[in-house]
Amino acid sequence: MATRTQVKNRADHKWGMVIDLDRCTGCQACVIACQSENNIPLNDQSAFLDGRAIEWIRVERYWEGDYPDIKARFLPVLCQHCDNAPCESVCPVYATYHNSEGLNVQVYNRCVGTRFCGNNCPYHARLFNYWEPVWPEDLRNQLNPDVTVRTRGIMEKCTFCIQRIRRSTRGGKQVEDQAFNPACVQACPTDAMTFGNLNNPDSRVSQKWEDERAYRVLEALGTNPSVKYLKQVDAHA
Amino acid sequence: MSNSLVKIIVPVIGLVAALVLAFVAYFFVQAWWAQPPAVLGFGDGPTQPVAFPHTVHVTTAGLDCQFCHRTVATEEAATVPAVAQCWFCHDFDRITGEQSSSSTAEAEIAKFIRDPEKLALDPPELPDPVNWVRVHRLPDHVQFVHAPHIQQGFPCSTCHGDIASMQVVEQVRNLKMRDCVDCHRDNDAPTDCTTCHY
Repeated sequence: MATRTQVKNRADHKWGMVIDLDRCTGCQACVIACQSENNIPLNDQSAFLDGRAIEWIRVERYWEGDYPDIKARFLPVLCQHCDNAPCESVCPVYATYHNSEGLNVQVYNRCVGTRFCGNNCPYHARLFNYWEPVWPEDLRNQLNPDVTVRTRGIMEKCTFCIQRIRRSTRGGKQVEDQAFNPACVQACPTDAMTFGNLNNPDSRVSQKWEDERAYRVLEALGTNPSVKYLKQVDAHA
Repeated sequence: MSNSLVKIIVPVIGLVAALVLAFVAYFFVQAWWAQPPAVLGFGDGPTQPVAFPHTVHVTTAGLDCQFCHRTVATEEAATVPAVAQCWFCHDFDRITGEQSSSSTAEAEIAKFIRDPEKLALDPPELPDPVNWVRVHRLPDHVQFVHAPHIQQGFPCSTCHGDIASMQVVEQVRNLKMRDCVDCHRDNDAPTDCTTCHY
């Protein structure tokens, strides 16, 4: 029998993301990629009208100025994986907590669906399953086997594609920078999103983390998110 | 309210309350200690569509588990081999030039490979896979990955028992979460919820 290696102390990871709004074109490729990677049911029009659409990442659009000097601003919003997360402290069953890799974790089988976390999230990143998810017959076989299909009555949200993290760090392995990316980052055609290990000072995300354009959404709340945005700067401002 | 009515009602309420309490207590004890229901593979192993004896293959033929369950050390699932892979060994004519020593094996394989000639075609015409009855089953919210367990040096029998001596494969360990977590604690494996639940 091979000697068993210590795998309890995970390799030193702190996952984070930087989104460059100067590069974001609002194309929604990240939304679609997330939808198919994470077994998110299809949102039809009525789901949006009822405010029940499930999108782990969404692109918010803001109009700035008046015609003809009008600008569209895009802001992709996903779970910010706050270090000081308002959602975690209100969960009565400890279904959401912060793990050692800086991830805000949602444990589906523990969730009882009180929706406290969703109400306490300032980013509206948490989504509740009001119905049993249904897929068209043709799409049944495209479900990702690495991701649990959530049932009715539980909360879900962006996981930073933890299934990919687990696959890459299996056995306590330290991963190289850019060895893998979450589905949204992988799909981004303009390379606006950067994901990686913030504990590695040489990683791409750590470099961008210190950018002078960097800011966090709703920073005044002190949630200390693991997602930073790089401000869009207009050439002729 | 008359005194006699109270004398009847109080014992009745007491009796009902005792029954309810007993039922609740039974429910909790049963849920906590009992094995999962028989549909999950406990008790007698299910009858498989092929009378495949692990005993012969492991003990007599001396095959390693990974000879057939090929991806167990590298992937999530151990996987069951294709029928064509059975034929790779059971095609005695090709290997030894002799007829098969076991007519029962030939009869079982013949259920699936009716015309071995078609396997030799290019591209081969593959037979339908065996519709095995699943014995070990974890809930959908558990992401169990075989690879790290095998890579850490645990033999398959840690969880699956002595398959080599089972005529019909059955589940021997309850494989509930406590079972997993106890073992993870004993072996300094991660116990973060997202190790398995995501």
